[in-house]
Amino acid sequence: MSGIVLEGVTKEFAGGVIAVCDISLEVAHGEFVVLVGPSGCGKSTTLRMVAGLEAVTSGEVRINDKVVTGLPPRMRDIAMVFQNYALYAHMSVRDNIGFGLKMAKFPQSEIRTRVDDAARVLGIVDLLDRKPKQLSGGQRQRVAMGRAIVREPAAFLMDEPLSNLDAKLRVEMRGEITNLQRRIATPTLYVTHDQTEAMTMGDRVAVLRDGVLEQLGSPKELYETPANIFVAGFIGSPAMNLLPARLDIEEGRYTVFVGDSNLTLSTDALRRRPGLAGYGGRDIILGIRPEDLQSEDRPLDAAHGLISVNVTRSESLGSDVIAYCTLAHRPGASAEDPVSQNNSTTSSRLIARLDRRIALVEGHPARVAVELDRLYFFDRDSGQALT
Amino acid sequence: MRQSVLARTLRALAIVALVCWSLGPIVIGLITSLSSQSDIQAVPARWLPKDANLDAYRSLLSGTGANSRAGGTVTESGTFARAMINSATITFMSTIAVLAVSIMCAYAFTRLRFRMSSVVFWGVVSTMIVPVFAVVVTLFRLMADAHLIDTKIGLVAVFIATLTPLATWLFHNHIRDMPGEPEEAALIDGCTRWQAFTRVVVPQMRSGIAAVSAILMLAVWGEFLIPLLLSSTRNAKPVTVVITEFIGKYSTNYPLLAAAGMLALLPPAIVALALNRHIRGMLSGAT
Repeated sequence: MSGIVLEGVTKEFAGGVIAVCDISLEVAHGEFVVLVGPSGCGKSTTLRMVAGLEAVTSGEVRINDKVVTGLPPRMRDIAMVFQNYALYAHMSVRDNIGFGLKMAKFPQSEIRTRVDDAARVLGIVDLLDRKPKQLSGGQRQRVAMGRAIVREPAAFLMDEPLSNLDAKLRVEMRGEITNLQRRIATPTLYVTHDQTEAMTMGDRVAVLRDGVLEQLGSPKELYETPANIFVAGFIGSPAMNLLPARLDIEEGRYTVFVGDSNLTLSTDALRRRPGLAGYGGRDIILGIRPEDLQSEDRPLDAAHGLISVNVTRSESLGSDVIAYCTLAHRPGASAEDPVSQNNSTTSSRLIARLDRRIALVEGHPARVAVELDRLYFFDRDSGQALT
Repeated sequence: MRQSVLARTLRALAIVALVCWSLGPIVIGLITSLSSQSDIQAVPARWLPKDANLDAYRSLLSGTGANSRAGGTVTESGTFARAMINSATITFMSTIAVLAVSIMCAYAFTRLRFRMSSVVFWGVVSTMIVPVFAVVVTLFRLMADAHLIDTKIGLVAVFIATLTPLATWLFHNHIRDMPGEPEEAALIDGCTRWQAFTRVVVPQMRSGIAAVSAILMLAVWGEFLIPLLLSSTRNAKPVTVVITEFIGKYSTNYPLLAAAGMLALLPPAIVALALNRHIRGMLSGAT
């Protein structure tokens, strides 16, 4: 039995705008799936279609194996937490939490018991007689959660519930929501534009772009094996460096030329990426995560390659140093590679997250090392990962 | 510094002039209502009554006696009180009916998606630009055919028709500015659309409803042309029409007329003061 199932769901608005295109995904019982993507990618529309607040143009939505595509929200047995909490301003916290139970005609004593239990779990017992306007953002968030859990629904839907909180509270609430969801084990579909939130909270993460599901997988899978340059650039902070490069194959040796540096791939790396074989002599996009770069001062072996850069700026985060660099080019070569000029997804700028003890001189050339196994390769035209 | 003092003085003078302009007629009316007919007719003019009294108010509420009959205006006992009750009834009924119709209309136009909703909305709202005097003949014919001349229900029906577009327009803007999520949360919490409307949307419109109610009550209470046209006896005549009847053909009892004006002013003044906060809020878009 599945919690939430979307099968080929499409949403087309009046005027022919397709907000969601043929999305299929499944949230298993007890699973926490996060929909993530930039603004306007269709994630909230998808959630609203599951909630029944938006009509589905084509496809099917099932909750607990029951087709709910044409049912009104009240008949779907779901609970939803909204971005701005959507509390009923004229009701007390107690009435807000108990409203759904009241509508379901639960006995007063049962409502009181359930509301008290939910309030205890969320630590808002003292606030039950207050009105929403007398609460802080974090407290309102808890009340919204209380309203959701008290009904013990078949599925939870959450639409950016943390985005109105300050950074510290957001981190705190992130943990609380995750713990709560694990405890009650209700399938949850969670929408956010914050990839950190997605990676830390989701059992699985679905990355959307322009209404299309780009990749669905565990946070580790998305990080380790992004399906394309969009996912590669979206997941991870700072974002993955996507550099214009050329792949040459000579006598079975694969060499990647990037800036004025070249990186010779190990046979082991090649064995894991058979797709590279057809790209000899072609321009590709080379992906390197900032955290996979390190200073050449550290002990290096044959599994590492060096890239020459010019350091333009560095920022200390305390634990690390973020170095903003540009690829070094051979004398006479254009600073802006023709590949990057023709491709908006790449640039010859490179960001490295380095050890805080590294002494970098802004405006000076330097070399950064990268483990060759940690390189990512993408087709220059389609943006698809070469694996 | 001198310029600043001058500017402040000018500003103060402008405020005083504005206050005098606005309150002057009310103050003069109050003084007149406390005067006797002889004070009013005195030459040279007397600004303050020689012997202030409440005779005019007494006459107004209990009928004119012999003294005031000499002043020329005859008012039957209870006529004015009846007119006040008529005004209050018509105002109350019209306001409730317009609120009920316009809140639902505005909600439908704002939140529900249906074909031509925008066209229908602007069609309804555009009727506001048609002045009543342009349709008085047709209106009279219609009301006569429906046997609604000289009835309070007839007047209420006309006020519903004339004020619903304004109220719908005001509520449309109000609902549009309200977040839609609480209503959606109610739908998910088990409400039907109607339950979400009555249990969540309407309670959250309290401030807007108060403001529009005040606007409607003031508009209906002060309306003159429509009641003049459609009422002919004390059965339906509101206070605005009855007051004009205190003006005699050959002479007028000014203290009586002023007292009637003062009393007729009280209900709208109380409404305006009571709901002032909501009216200001709605006009500034803060409700």
